[in-house]
Amino acid sequence: MDRREFIKSCSLVAVMGLLFGCRKSELLGDIASQFSVPELKRFEDEVKLAMSRAKKSLDLVRVSAPGPLKIPGASPVNRFGMAIDLDLCDGCGKCILACNLENNVPLVPAEDATRGRFMHWVEMRGNAPLMCAHCGDAPCEKVCPTGAANHTPDGISAMMYKRCTGSRFCGANCPVHARKFNFNDAQSLGLARQFNKEVPLRDKGVMEKCSLCLHRLQNDRLAFKTRNPLSEWRGRGVKTACAEACPKNAIVFGNWLDPESPLARLAKTRILYAPREVAALDPSVVFVRGRR
Amino acid sequence: MFRYLMLAGLALFLPGLFALGYAVLEGPSAWMTDSRTFWGTPIALFVFWIGLAHAGTLLSAIFLALGIKLDRRTALIAELSTLVSLVFAGIFPLMHLGVVENFYMVAPFLDARGNFANVRSPLVWDFCCIVVYALLSLLFFTTHLKARVVPALDRYCKPMAWLLFPLVLWVHTVVSLDFATTFVPEWRGAFFPVYFIVGAILSGLALVNLLICAEGYRVRLMERLQLITSWILCAIWIWDLLFKGYFCTSAFIFAVLLPQFRMVAVIRESRAGRIFFSLSILLGLFLERFYLVSPLAGVPGEPGFGLVDLGLLAFSLGGFMMLFYAARSLLNESMEGAGTYFGEVDGSDMANVEESERSREKTHGLTLSYIQPWSSEEYKTLRLPLACGFSVALLFVLWVCAQLPFVGSPYENVEVILVNVLPLSYPVIAFVAALVLACKAVWVDKAVELGRNSYVALAVALVALAVLAGMFYAGGAASRPDAVIAEAPQYGSEIVDSAHVQFVWNARCAQCHGVDGRFNDKFIREYYPVPQKLDVARIDSLGLDSLVNVVLDGRVNMNPYRGRLTESEARALVVYMRSLAEAP
Repeated sequence: MDRREFIKSCSLVAVMGLLFGCRKSELLGDIASQFSVPELKRFEDEVKLAMSRAKKSLDLVRVSAPGPLKIPGASPVNRFGMAIDLDLCDGCGKCILACNLENNVPLVPAEDATRGRFMHWVEMRGNAPLMCAHCGDAPCEKVCPTGAANHTPDGISAMMYKRCTGSRFCGANCPVHARKFNFNDAQSLGLARQFNKEVPLRDKGVMEKCSLCLHRLQNDRLAFKTRNPLSEWRGRGVKTACAEACPKNAIVFGNWLDPESPLARLAKTRILYAPREVAALDPSVVFVRGRR
Repeated sequence: MFRYLMLAGLALFLPGLFALGYAVLEGPSAWMTDSRTFWGTPIALFVFWIGLAHAGTLLSAIFLALGIKLDRRTALIAELSTLVSLVFAGIFPLMHLGVVENFYMVAPFLDARGNFANVRSPLVWDFCCIVVYALLSLLFFTTHLKARVVPALDRYCKPMAWLLFPLVLWVHTVVSLDFATTFVPEWRGAFFPVYFIVGAILSGLALVNLLICAEGYRVRLMERLQLITSWILCAIWIWDLLFKGYFCTSAFIFAVLLPQFRMVAVIRESRAGRIFFSLSILLGLFLERFYLVSPLAGVPGEPGFGLVDLGLLAFSLGGFMMLFYAARSLLNESMEGAGTYFGEVDGSDMANVEESERSREKTHGLTLSYIQPWSSEEYKTLRLPLACGFSVALLFVLWVCAQLPFVGSPYENVEVILVNVLPLSYPVIAFVAALVLACKAVWVDKAVELGRNSYVALAVALVALAVLAGMFYAGGAASRPDAVIAEAPQYGSEIVDSAHVQFVWNARCAQCHGVDGRFNDKFIREYYPVPQKLDVARIDSLGLDSLVNVVLDGRVNMNPYRGRLTESEARALVVYMRSLAEAP
């Protein structure tokens, strides 16, 4: 065999190797997806594990109440957000489990759990729940190459899973690391369970994070618009899953621009704080502590 | 010698290829990613290889543009190493994506297919700059290579070098902006572009010095340049240390301390010593990129360097050696020989060469005199192409600015300001200018005769490009065939009452089509092209059945609703839509 032949056969082997590596192993996927869905107990255990590994420090600075968004196309009447009352919160972690069940947040394999790589949208930091702050000037949205991370007119930093190409640039640029990456195909590994039919399961390779229970808002909007097509929708009466689950009512969801919203009323009498890293980015989700 | 290097490359490449296949199949969990940046080895390798890819253009184009003499063989080796490095620099950002098949969404096609890449993102700038840089480097290399056979091409080398000079700095500035625009504390600093450019130049020099060591000669000019660049990098690292209190000791030892032994004559004069400097610099800079991309690597509790990471490293190293020496032996005839200036063979005295050069200049009366830039030969060649490039870039910028912010345009809500488009401007200028220059050389100046084969290749390439563009424009199915649509509540009744139709319309369709059927402009943001106007004439011409099918099976941007709506509901919706269109 001369040199040319040798190289040719080697490169053929190489290309075949690459093709073999790239093909989707459908057989494996089929077998795995027949596994039963995980039990609720496993989700509870994972939340306990995540809470035991939580970071202890949360550096808060004072912020003023969020105003209307400055991005083009933003609604002048709606900007949804939350406030977490640190005087009431005792760090029980019920909000994490409620969020996981509401948004079908998948489990992670044991190996990821030992690294602390959970998918939880809400995590404990400094004995208080921390989630995406839905910054008005969100750094993650600026660097997303495809525009999959984007603001809705109502002030929610939303994710379009089907547009996400998984460059993880947004995750690198989030100062509080609120964004989670789907490292595993949770569905075929039998780690995902669709508790809530209204929220889709995410595919492997996309980013996800707190959506402020967008589906609840949308349902309310559609019902409201169907009943009174001509009046302005302010999202009154909607609560996120974590706010609903909090036994002490420490999480308050509402509309910053609606004076009747519990959030706006709360902000009048309390002092607002935000994590130092995002305080300058106009966060919609803040902490409250003490009275004015 | 080259054959052994190529075989060694192959031996590294094959297991590396396996690791690459595994990594693509398994996704980002296969390699080491730390919890802060999510990126890990592929991006470290990308920054490393894109740095090496600057060797050719820096050494060849910039030296040529500035009038520093470099022999043809060294220049061609440097350019070839650029091209081969770019192949690997291009592979890693693609394979590191979570959803690899969506990579095309990064290309800024503006509104084609309803895709709007976010022009604010440095990744989009990156994609464009690197594509343009690869194309121009290929063109430059071909021109340089062909110039030996077709001397008329020689006068296009220098203008092309002037086009590439800013581009090479531009590309690395943009790569550094991937890091410098983020909130990661280790990556902050306005000096990042300079820092990246210096790092790239140092690694590129080390690579070329290593490659010409393998050829069996040395270029003292580049060795000295390598030493000086390491001092500049040292200064930047010290700045960084004072600024952030963060320092990569191993990189400092390998890339800055050890190369200082070049000042010892015994080590400098031995070939093993020179190979050692280059390897140590390359190793040091790789480590530096690795720690830069994964600041938490090695911290207890964080994952370490694994087999797949090693495999990816082996893939790029082996692939580089294999491809480089394969191309090197293919192009051997056009590379050898030519006048040697600084590229004297090992051991000969540099001073003698310079002396003879000087005496030759004296005897021939050749003295370098200053030429006004506006009357220089290169400027005259580049005048027209540059004018074209600038005008296209200006048109592009004007178009983006005019299209986006105006009320009533479909993109009025897109947040783009002039600053976001500017990083794309020079690549556009350089690309158009090079294209015009090439066309001018071929068809106006007739500097090079294109053979029949070249025309066929050109035609095939154009047709392929057109087919690709057409396929892209036409698009595929509206939803991925394997997408699992969760079971939705089924509305069982066959008789659909009008209140229910109205509810379904408001719940399902009104987000885009509007409660009154006249589009919800507020909700359709930049991601969807505005849906077709559905007036009565159009609905009637399309017919009830075909519209029912559109509702059930979807069309380009319309989602399929089969499984979520019954057929009778879809039919009732179409009737309801017609009644909306009829309403005044």
